Amino acid sequence: MKKILLTFALILLQSQLLSAKTTISWWQFWTDPTIKPVIEEMVEEFEKQNSDIAVELTDLTWANGHEKIVIAFASGNGPDIVELGSDWIAEFAVNGHLSEIKVDDAAQQEFHGWEMATFQSKVYAKPWFLGTRVIFGNRDLLNKAGYAETFAPISLGQFKEAVYKVDSLSKKIYGFGSNAPEKHRSYKKYLPFSWSFDAQIFSDDNRLCLLASDYAVKALNYYKELHDSCGYVANQRGIEDAFLDGKVGFVLSGDWLLKRIENEKLDFNLMSTLIPGDKYPGRSFMGGEFLAINSASKQKEAAQKFIDFITSPENQVKFCQANRSANPSSKTATEDEYFKSNTHLQTFIKQLKIANHPPVDPNWVVYESFIEKAVEDALFNGVEPGTALLKARKKIEAAR
Amino acid sequence: MQHKKTTALLLALPWIVTLLLFWLYPIIYSFVVGFTDRQLLSKTWQWVGFDNYIALLSDESFLTALKNTSIFVLGTIPVTTIVALLLALLVNKQFKGRGLFRAGYFLPSITSMVVVALIFTNLFQRGGYIALLAEMLGFTPPQHGFLLDSSTALYSIMAMDIWMAVGYYMLIFLAGLKSIPQELYEAAKIQGAGQVRQFFSITLPLLKPVALFILVINSIKSFQVFVEIFVMTQGKFETSTMVYFIYESGLTTKFNFGYASAAAYILFLIVAVFSFLQFRLLKNRGTV
Repeated sequence: MKKILLTFALILLQSQLLSAKTTISWWQFWTDPTIKPVIEEMVEEFEKQNSDIAVELTDLTWANGHEKIVIAFASGNGPDIVELGSDWIAEFAVNGHLSEIKVDDAAQQEFHGWEMATFQSKVYAKPWFLGTRVIFGNRDLLNKAGYAETFAPISLGQFKEAVYKVDSLSKKIYGFGSNAPEKHRSYKKYLPFSWSFDAQIFSDDNRLCLLASDYAVKALNYYKELHDSCGYVANQRGIEDAFLDGKVGFVLSGDWLLKRIENEKLDFNLMSTLIPGDKYPGRSFMGGEFLAINSASKQKEAAQKFIDFITSPENQVKFCQANRSANPSSKTATEDEYFKSNTHLQTFIKQLKIANHPPVDPNWVVYESFIEKAVEDALFNGVEPGTALLKARKKIEAAR
Repeated sequence: MQHKKTTALLLALPWIVTLLLFWLYPIIYSFVVGFTDRQLLSKTWQWVGFDNYIALLSDESFLTALKNTSIFVLGTIPVTTIVALLLALLVNKQFKGRGLFRAGYFLPSITSMVVVALIFTNLFQRGGYIALLAEMLGFTPPQHGFLLDSSTALYSIMAMDIWMAVGYYMLIFLAGLKSIPQELYEAAKIQGAGQVRQFFSITLPLLKPVALFILVINSIKSFQVFVEIFVMTQGKFETSTMVYFIYESGLTTKFNFGYASAAAYILFLIVAVFSFLQFRLLKNRGTV
């Protein structure tokens, strides 16, 4: 009996030794059928190159991914590697849930977006790919409104005029796609106008909240005028549906719209241009997807190796091609022919250089909710823009 | 005897464990957490006494949620109850196709709230059937749709909620109507009482225990309105309610468990007082 037990134990031990692989877990958001196979392919390739490491992939959804990550970290069950939106990094870093990433000069030079992952002078995540918003226009409607084939609005005045002209084409055509209040989304539509009017959220030394400055009020009045006079109001998806249906002249959107036009094989006469501004071009919103390592991970070295692999220029190009993403974080990847050959992708690349990101602040999610409420109140609840912004500023000041 | 006790305990154990783990523990835990500044991601937390409760009473978002919940409760309960009673009286009569009507009215209440909310989101949108109906009746529907307007969003959700709930309460009223002895109506008839008199002197008094049950259950349910708000407006356009506020504070944004727990206990207190008053009111009238 003892012999049998001993043999059994030895077999178990041997099988354990043979399969002594380091397993790292990665939580990510890309579940779309066009991109998921590419992600899996990359993971497979990594495992082939690193036979001692296995990667366990878990999908998250945008609807509740953030909540899942928070609960996992709070209960000590977070993954080794997690994909984080740029707005979330500080929130996790301040509570010690993320591992600091050492960035050498080469990496500093090669990747865009480190500033969004830097909290209290430490870097907590590696930029994977970035995102911004540009103005998309319906060229056919612009032509009908009397504009030349090459027209693109440059100043805020020109943009407003074009919006009005398109809007006046017919009762069923709207000049501008105006977002209904949506969490984490509405403020991204107002801020580009605010920045393009030279407004700031905080002062340069970060001590004062400038949300209700004259510039900001002017910007919200401008945005409200587009909304009130020419706005097709719906959620982001609804606005894009109407835009692709030929009912809306201009929308502020991201590179996913290019993917949609391509996937749905739409014959659409698209115009893309930079955010207009009085000192052309205007400033857009910048965000991004980052890969961070759990501070409680026991596989930090393997995790870092995997992050470096996934964010390599070659893999970023592969990812962007599959996802039609316009802004890889790698500067080398940006030089790829894929990006150079597409004028719309070039618009995004140019806009990213003239884009702001929200402050890296653990309380940002709270501040953004105040800004969204101010925009909602001004656009939908009849509150005067200055009053709405002032109220939001006071709330932010109280929360700081 | 001891063996029987052990067996009984073993049989009851799954329920006891469930009660302790998923009911009692969260109730006590959230009560305690309501007096702390516990945030989910934070590794440390402190005792803050009644600070959360005091802050809530001056929190504009909380007060708006409280106001909206009150409108929802006071607006839906009487209408739901009256319509449910009328429907119950209607389908209690003998007529052809009665079963079809009963099933038809009851059907919405067994449909998933998410499904119903999504359907109504479409119906309420700009150019949707409800907007078309309003136009046909000579009303001007909101420019961007019923749910994208602060003056109509909450009332639209309330209307949907009433439509969905009446069938269920109709069925309970129907059960109550069936339990009223027919002899009472026969005796009333002999004494010359008309249908209206019969309704107010027999039906309504004898239905009061059922009405109380419906009022209490419907109040508790209405105070906890969440899914429809989450699906249809995400608390925007002045539709945030108490439970939505608790969800927003505790499970999104800052994951502020302490604050959300305090808000949950205020809601508990309101529901308890409201239910108590309903019991007292109807009990004093000698019906229960």
